Amino acid sequence: MMDIVISMGFVGVMLSMLGMGLLIAYYGSSKTRNVGFLFLIVGAGIAYYITLPETYADVAFMNGMLAFVGGMVGGIIGIIVFLVAIIKS
Amino acid sequence: MNFSTDYADWGVMDFFVSMLIVGIGVALLGTGMFTSYFGAGKSQKIGYALLFSGLVILTAIYVLTFDAVEGVESMFDSSLFMEGLVSGISALAGMMLGMFVILFVLMKVDTVDDLEDLDLEDLEDLDLDEELKKLEEELKQADDSGEAENNSENSEEEK
Repeated sequence: MMDIVISMGFVGVMLSMLGMGLLIAYYGSSKTRNVGFLFLIVGAGIAYYITLPETYADVAFMNGMLAFVGGMVGGIIGIIVFLVAIIKS
Repeated sequence: MNFSTDYADWGVMDFFVSMLIVGIGVALLGTGMFTSYFGAGKSQKIGYALLFSGLVILTAIYVLTFDAVEGVESMFDSSLFMEGLVSGISALAGMMLGMFVILFVLMKVDTVDDLEDLDLEDLEDLDLDEELKKLEEELKQADDSGEAENNSENSEEEK
């Protein structure tokens, strides 16, 4: 269980680093842009680390990813249902 | 380690489908609470409906996982369900942590580096009191000229 918590925590940090790093590197200027590239590198490093065969890369990790993606998709569907209900009323 | 890409090895039903339903339930519950509290009239009723449906979905998934009601066969394995739930919560916590780190770094890094290019000598030489006096005089002059024009118009009308 602890492995799942740590590995999925790394996944969350990686996703925010890659996402925000992309935005900051694209829209930032001078020093901010450099920080954005740093975030991108850190995100890529975490992605490389968690997919190493000797760390977390196994079926349990893939199942954790499935659960995370499922939860996100479910949340998006729920918000779409809410928006449809509000707009149609 | 078994980093399997075989689809049959993945627990799609126990992980993806269960978390999908939980995600829908939590989203409906959250939006329902928000809408029923802040909404008015028809919106408030929709909020109550969303809240109710969210509660029903979460109760259903609980019953279908933990054998809470006799006679209802469980669809999801409870230990795998808990693993999936922990995975989702951990990933969300990790995302929040990452966002905090990014905000902290962005706030600590001196991102305003264009100040060196500013010509601050002009600002240092500026006497603010003198500038203020000049502005006040200009305003007074503008007021005086406005009043004079009004007076001349009134005298013409009287004639």
